[in-house]
Formats: sequence, C-alpha cells, structure tokens
Amino acid sequence: MMRTRTFLTKFAALAPLLAAMLLGTCWAQAQATKKLPYIYTKWKNFSVADGLPSDHIFSVKADGDRVWIGTEGGLAMYNKTTGKMKSWTTKDGLPWPAITGIDIDKTTGDVWLALFGGGIARFSGGRFDHYHQMNSGLVNDVVYGIAVEHDNIWAATTAGSSRFNKVSGEWTIFTEKNAPMEEIWNYNVSYNGKGTVYLAVWGSGVLEYKIADGSWKEYLDPDGEMEIDLYRDDGLVHVITTAVAPAGEGFFVSTYFGASRYDGRHWRGYYNMDSGTPSDFMNSVKARSTDEAWFSTDKGLGVLTDFDSNTWITYRMDPKTHHGKATVYKDREVLEEVETETGIPHNYIIYTELDGNDVWIGTAKGLAWGKGGDYYPRLRERGAVSGNLAAAPTVVAKGGK
Amino acid sequence: MRRLSHLLVGLFAAAALLLSADDAAERMKKLEKLIDPDTAEVLKRINAVDAYTVPDLKLKREENFAKTASDIEPYSGVKPYKEHFLIPIEYAGPGRALPEPGAELKTVKIGFIGPIQNLPSVATGGMGHEASLGRMMLKGAQMAIDETNEGGGYLRRGIPFELKVVNDNGLWGSSGNEITNMAYKDPVWAILGTIDGANSHIAIRVALKAEMLMMNSGDTDPTFTETNIPWTARCIGDDRQMGYLMADYLFRKMGYKRVALIRSSNRFGRFGIREVRDTARRLGRPVLIEMAYKVGAEDLSMQVERLQATNPDAVVHWGDARESAVVLNTMRKLGMKQPYFTNDRTVSEEFTKLAGENAEGVISAYPWDPSRKDPKLDAFRERFRKKFGEEPETYAAHGYDGMNMLIWATQVGGLNKAKIRDLIAYRTKPWPGVTGDIPLSSTLDDLGEVFLAKFENGKWGFHSREEWQIPSGYIPPRSRVARGLESAASEPPK
Repeated sequence: MMRTRTFLTKFAALAPLLAAMLLGTCWAQAQATKKLPYIYTKWKNFSVADGLPSDHIFSVKADGDRVWIGTEGGLAMYNKTTGKMKSWTTKDGLPWPAITGIDIDKTTGDVWLALFGGGIARFSGGRFDHYHQMNSGLVNDVVYGIAVEHDNIWAATTAGSSRFNKVSGEWTIFTEKNAPMEEIWNYNVSYNGKGTVYLAVWGSGVLEYKIADGSWKEYLDPDGEMEIDLYRDDGLVHVITTAVAPAGEGFFVSTYFGASRYDGRHWRGYYNMDSGTPSDFMNSVKARSTDEAWFSTDKGLGVLTDFDSNTWITYRMDPKTHHGKATVYKDREVLEEVETETGIPHNYIIYTELDGNDVWIGTAKGLAWGKGGDYYPRLRERGAVSGNLAAAPTVVAKGGK
Repeated sequence: MRRLSHLLVGLFAAAALLLSADDAAERMKKLEKLIDPDTAEVLKRINAVDAYTVPDLKLKREENFAKTASDIEPYSGVKPYKEHFLIPIEYAGPGRALPEPGAELKTVKIGFIGPIQNLPSVATGGMGHEASLGRMMLKGAQMAIDETNEGGGYLRRGIPFELKVVNDNGLWGSSGNEITNMAYKDPVWAILGTIDGANSHIAIRVALKAEMLMMNSGDTDPTFTETNIPWTARCIGDDRQMGYLMADYLFRKMGYKRVALIRSSNRFGRFGIREVRDTARRLGRPVLIEMAYKVGAEDLSMQVERLQATNPDAVVHWGDARESAVVLNTMRKLGMKQPYFTNDRTVSEEFTKLAGENAEGVISAYPWDPSRKDPKLDAFRERFRKKFGEEPETYAAHGYDGMNMLIWATQVGGLNKAKIRDLIAYRTKPWPGVTGDIPLSSTLDDLGEVFLAKFENGKWGFHSREEWQIPSGYIPPRSRVARGLESAASEPPK
C-alpha cells in the first residue's frame, strides 16, 4: 500500500514533465512538417554613431556593393564590402538636407535624389547638379519620389509629376491638364522595367503610364468614399496612396488606409484586421514578386510572404529589450514567433529596399540591414528557425491573436 | 566711493535676481493654471516614454463617423467591409524623445501660412482670391501671439512667441515649399493655416513627413481631416457639418423636392456642395442640376438660365461672396423668386453690398454663432477693434482660437513637436474658444455646433438647429460594421 502510494506520488510529480515532453515531441514533429516562410534573423543596425547624417531615414537604394541612404539630414553611402560609411550634407554641396527618394541610372552610375523641398539632384563624379523650379522644368520643389526610366528621370512632386530627358534636356510636366489626375498631389513614382511607369497620387489612386503610346490608365477606389471601404476586393482600398510596387503584370499599393494587390485582373485588399500587417498606416511598399511584398508601416514591418495562403511575417522591435521579434501569421492566426538579439531599430518604418536576398529597412530612428543568405521564397517545410537568436524560438498557442 | 559703487552693483544684482525669481515663479503659476487633471495625466504619460515607446493613452473611440444620420450614409443599404476614422491615428515615431533646444533659443516660433497676398495660383485654379480672408486670419493669429507675449510669453523660459508668416497663394503649389522651409530652413514648432483646400492638402502632406502639427482654422473642405494624418487638426466646422444642416433644413424641414445647385469650379465649390448633393440623392430627392462657374467670372447668366429652366423649389450656391452675389442678382434679374441658400463666405460685407435688396431672406450655412452672448467673445471683439480698428469676422475669430490652441499645447507640452501634437490630439475637453466650444473628433476635426445665418432687415441673424427645430435623421450609436442595416425609418435599438 505504501509502495503504491509512493509510486503514485512520484508519478503525480513527474506527470507534468512527461506531458511537457510529449507535447514538445508533438510540437517538434509539427514544426518539422509545417510549411513556413523564411524569417530574417540576422540584422545589423546603423545610426549616426555609424556615420549616418541623421537617424531619420527617408529612402534607401541598393546598387551592387553600395547602398545609398537618404536621410532627413543628408545622404550616406554604405559599402558592403569594406563596411565603411560615407556621408554628404549641405556643407558638402548637397543642395538640400532631406532626401525622400533615390534611384540609380544604370547606364552612367549617376545617383538621382528626390529632395523634400529642394527639387532634385544628380550626384555624379562627386558633384551635385541641382534642378529646381527656378532653373528647370521641375513642377515643384517638394519631391517625394524619383525613378529612372530609360533616358528619363521621373519626379513625383506635390504639384504634379515632371519627366526630364537627360539626353535631350527636355522636361515634360504631368498634371490634371494632360493626365487623369483628379488631384495633382503625386506621392511616389516607380518603373517596372517593362515599359510602364506607376504614379501613386494622393487622392487620385494609382496612375499607370504606358511608355510605348503615352497612354494613361487610372485605378481608383470604386466606392469613392473616404470613410469606408465598401467591399474588400473590388479595387484600391483607398485613393490616398503612398507608393506602388510593380510585380508581375500588376502591382502592390500602400496607402494610409491599408494595402492592395492587383495582378492585372483581380484585386485583393489587406487590412490589419484580416492579415499580418501590423498597421493600416503604410508609408511605402516594395515587392519581390507577385507573392511577396514588404509594407513599411508606423507599427512595424508587414511582409506578405505567400499570397495564396495569406501568410505574413511581422517584424517588430521590443521597445523594452530592443530585441527583434518576428511573428508569422496566416490570416490573423499566429503560427510562429521568433525572437532575435537584434532586429529593426525602430517600429516606425518609412522605407524598405530589397537587395537580392538581403533587405534594408529605413526607420524613423536608424537603418537596418537584414541578411538573407539562405533566403527562400514563399513557404517551405522546416523546423525551428536557426540563427542569431537570443532565445529558443517559441511557438504560441494556435489561434492566438 | 568705490565701495559704495560695489555695494550698489551688488544691490542691483540681488534685486534683479529676486525679481527674476519672482518672475519665474509667477510664470510657473500661470503655467500650472493651464493644466487640468486630464491634461496632467496625458503629460505624465507622454513625458514617461523614450524614443521607442508609444505612450499608453486612451484613444477616443467614436461609434459614428461625423454624426452622420443612417439614412444619408453612403451605400446605406450595404454593410461596409471597413469603416475608417472611428479611432484616431496614433503617432508612433520617436519624436517625443527629441531634446529641447538650449538656452540660445530667443523666441518660440509658430508658423502662419495663409493667403495674405493674391498671386496667380495653379493650385487654386487662377488668380488667388482669398487674401482678404487670409489677412483677417493673420490678424486673429497675431493677436493671440501678442496677448500671450504680454502675459509672459513662453512661460517655461520667459521668452516671446514669434509668428513666422508666409503666403500660400503662389504659383505651382508653393505652399509645400513654404512648409518645408518652416521644417528645415527656419524651423517652427507648429503651424496655423490655411484656407484654400488644395493648398491645405499640399501643406499637410509636408507636415506629415516633417512631423509638425498643422492646425487649420479656415479650410472647410471635409476631406482635409479625412486623410489619416496624425499631424492635422481643425478648429472650424467643416462643409460636411454645414452641408448636413443645410440639407436637413431643405429636405426634412422645408420638404423641398426640386433643388438646383450652382458652385465655383474649384476644389472649394466641388467638395463644399458635395454633402448637400449626396444627401439630396440619399433622401430620394436628387438635385435637378449642378452648374459650375469659373472663379472670377462676371457674367453667370448662362449658368443661372440653366437653373431657371429646371424650375426649382430652391437654389443652393457654394463659392465666394462676390460670385454668390452675382448668382443671386442674376436670378432676381431673370425673375427667379426661389429662396436662395448659400455657404458661409456669403456672410460678408462684400456680399450684402453687391446684393443690395436682393440679400433679404438669404440663408447661409455658418460654422459658428457670432451673435452668441458670451463675455469672452465680447471682450475679444473689443480688443480686436481696439488693435486693428475693425470688426473681427469668422476668419479672424477662428485664427485667434486656432493659434491659442497651438500656444496652449506648446506652453503645456514644451518645445517638442510630437508632444504639442499629443496635447491637442488627446485633449479630453472641448477648447473654450471665442467661436464657441471646439470639441475635436477622432480625426481631430471640429465637431461643434454649426448654424444657419439668415439676412433679415438688413442684418444677419444666426439660428441653431434647436431654435429652428430642424429635424435630423437617426444617428446610430454603433459603427456601421458592428450594427445591422438600420435606417432612419427604423426604430432606434432599445
């Protein structure tokens, strides 16, 4: 009797441990077979201490070994091979401190800069050439975005878009007079490399410009109302757009009201309430493919990693520990949470640049370089994430929100 | 002799120190009076965070967007997938942790952008035409600054406030350039402006990137705050609220079935009249016609003849005072006797002078009640008359209120743009302005009462919804997504 009691007592004491081991085995098996996205766990952060002219990052452009960084206080260039940072401010001839957009002319290597209040500039051979309202055909000096398309430089300004042909020197202005702009407040411009330029126009949705025939097509929110989105997938979620990222035959769009994906025929809307985006307030978007888009929001980075399954990763920085935290969502269900020693330097994300397998994240307080050496697209069967982890990966309860 | 002089110097220095200490103590007492318990709690929370943390502040949650009756909501027969603007947008950036400037700061600059000089403007569709309004707004703002400086200036340091004034009505969207200058070249702590809807939109997008609060006291374009920008606020009733009241009067009270519209062809007219037009349609009485005219046009007979051809019960105009008079005079000249309704800009000397006897009976939507019995308003009027030798009108009064709101937020929040924003965004009580109480909505828009002004016996009288017993539709207490398809015909939920 006594022995039975002792056995029962010992069993009772060991039961939780056995249960945990059993659950752990089940979890490990589940993890081993689950299809999950690639998570960036290796991050390097940069700030003024590393040579940036300002921690407030507006734009980033990768160009081979060089990464150009536009900040609120000047321009910087980081060399990935040497690990050295160089910077230019107005004292070095930069015409204006705040740089909201950067693009590279691949034919010359020139760096084109969108200056927030100062027009545009070409950085070539160590010299800045300045184009503004008073010396060129630039329609306004408040420039939000810039894109190189063949011999043309497109500038998205607060009072229309300007196109500068660097060979002929000709300027063309696009406003409501010659383009279907309900409003002229251009917010971004991008070129898809296949003959189409996209303008994100605040209050006028997305404008598509076909280079071949100079034709325009507009994409608006079909319900036409500011305070509602009537149907999720009927078109753009809102006309106040912030950026367009070309992908396949269509594009992704970021707005301050959510996001949209268009594949050339069908639309899909995304909100915080139905996806893994950490916020509906989106400053910009970049796309790797029709399956993968990176949304820079005010409350973290939202990455759609697989369109078909609506799988997302949210990257955030824990304000208390300053560790990184990646959360994998399918719709709003949390599949996985991974904590990393380092992550993004701030949750207010302004810009993302995709650099091969790597990513660059510009935030309101610092820049992050996410190294994706073993990156894979979409989903794969994998176990726990390895890498630069501060702690073992944790899987939270299924259905957690 | 030398000893005596040393003694005198010492005495003067001691006296100066004592006076300075007294002065500082006096200023701190004044500052304390600006902080009620709710504000103190907001201040405590925003002062507690570092660059990485978003303060834990209670967000205003509204269950109804802009006090819209269910029978005039867009697509009221459909439950929308998403409803915006019920919860305010937070500022999640690092700005609250920015250090304040050092002792070298000599003045606290607040920006003013407005149409103070008429110049050709692409944004406004031709020659600028709002300088007379902008100059009054400037006078109101300047008066608020001057009065604050007379009372000790920026109380934490005893230095004066300074108004940095720029014109917004230049070529090619120059308002954007002016705001970037105020962000990067000659920085200010917050900005008051502007009047034109297009320029306002240009300005707030810059304010968003540069992270500066933009208080608007003169642009009634409803879409101004419907942008999800956490850096904008407005202290004047907008055309949505005025349009709702006007439409309720036209259709619910007067029962008009045939209404014709005429408006200016710029953004002000296009967006201003929208709520009247949409409400008419949603109430089953679509407008007969909507005519537009170019700002500055002298002859509007073609447009008015088209209105006449529809045989309307009433005509509604949205535009500037001069064109309002031209439309009205043309109507009467053509023998049209229909009642004439118009917008707030008509309530002006310019209109009554041009319209003459025709002005009798005209009804305008108006964002406040200047006939209100309020000692605060009377005292403001008296001081304004004394200072400028003229009567303060709506732009002066709202400019005064808007600037005082910015000054209050700066005094309380300190020299930090994000905290100045927070103080306005999380204010729990309506601002007690000379224009009346200003309660801010979740989009930081003025949701205070608006009025109808009627010109009778040679002067404007101002009438509230209650006074004229203007009915409203049913305003549901739940968001559109959370509730069923309730309509005005439905009984309110028990």
